[in-house]
Amino acid sequence: MRILLPYLSAFSACAGYCLLFNIRGKALVASSLGGVLGWLVYTLSNPLQNDIMQYFLATVATAVYAELMARTMKKPATGFQIVALLPLVPGGGIFYTMEYCVIGNNSMFLSTGIHTLGIAGALAMGVLLVSSVVRLIHFVTTRRAW
Amino acid sequence: MNYTELLNTAADVGYLLVVNGGEIYRAEESIQRIFRAYGVTNGEVFVIPTLIEAAVSTPDGTPLTCIRRVPVRTINLDRVERVNALCRRIWNETPPIAEIRGELSRIKKRPAPSFLTQTVSFTLVAASFSLFYGGTPRDAAVALCCGFVIRLSTRFLEAYRVNSFFVNVAASFLAAAIALAAAHFDLSLSYDKIIIGALMNLVPGIAITNFMRDIIAGDIIAGILRLTESVLVATAIAIGAGIALTATRMLWGV
Repeated sequence: MRILLPYLSAFSACAGYCLLFNIRGKALVASSLGGVLGWLVYTLSNPLQNDIMQYFLATVATAVYAELMARTMKKPATGFQIVALLPLVPGGGIFYTMEYCVIGNNSMFLSTGIHTLGIAGALAMGVLLVSSVVRLIHFVTTRRAW
Repeated sequence: MNYTELLNTAADVGYLLVVNGGEIYRAEESIQRIFRAYGVTNGEVFVIPTLIEAAVSTPDGTPLTCIRRVPVRTINLDRVERVNALCRRIWNETPPIAEIRGELSRIKKRPAPSFLTQTVSFTLVAASFSLFYGGTPRDAAVALCCGFVIRLSTRFLEAYRVNSFFVNVAASFLAAAIALAAAHFDLSLSYDKIIIGALMNLVPGIAITNFMRDIIAGDIIAGILRLTESVLVATAIAIGAGIALTATRMLWGV
């Protein structure tokens, strides 16, 4: 149960966001499972001992998942992508950065802040990579820009 | 071919996409596709998150332009999906424009999440994220109240047309203040887990995800706008929670 708790809470958090974004039915379950998948990849890639790399791999996994789901369910990929990425957003990093800033611990403020920026960069790079490759594949197969 | 009507309809389609959180390239492509479906090849489109511009030239060379301002954007992916399906249909079947207009007004009338649903989702998100970041069930219960207060306060302030920066500062301050007060009276609570969980409601997830997609698709200005937006929201959240942290330090000297 203790091991499963992060996955269950990631699922319910994503489901909450789905309600807010008006994603219903099967798409709600599929998008929320994307969030669970992201966190699963993050924990499975733990042996890398480099959490920026772990975040990157997890983002790539969610982005590929979002594109696959978009093809199977005939819905725009954005919905799946936004929701699945949420558990990876460095909310904790932003908060601790701010807290160190308020306390006046400058060295921790800088190192946490830069680390958080690194995570945000990893998420952006992951989305960037998959979306570029998907566009390339789409262009090669259809010879159309859209 | 009625060019005015075509232009207005295409701009409405783009507006519905942007206002409900669709990507910029999707809006631009959809408008271009509609033009092409009706045989107009000289159409021009420019979309950024706050503005939609579409222009066509009539056969006698008169230029026509349509501009739509997008003041507020919310996220309603159900509508994005339906407009997208409509665009596919336009591309494949080229229905009469009156039919598209009817379909558009049907999509506009589709229910958006009610205030109750939004409140439920805010509390669910806050409680789940505080568990996700390693909080105990008691932390999650406090986070749930924080999520509820965040939704109430944002709703209250938005009714008074307060700008979104201040709304975020105030909501984040309230959530952090409740968490800190609860942790002051019950030492077993970890206030950081509660605050992080509650504030995940305000984090601009969609902007962060979309800005990179926009830039890659070549919509640099749109991407920069969204990046700025997300940095502003993140700053507002940090300021609100920071004020609460500083204030409690002064009050209780911890």
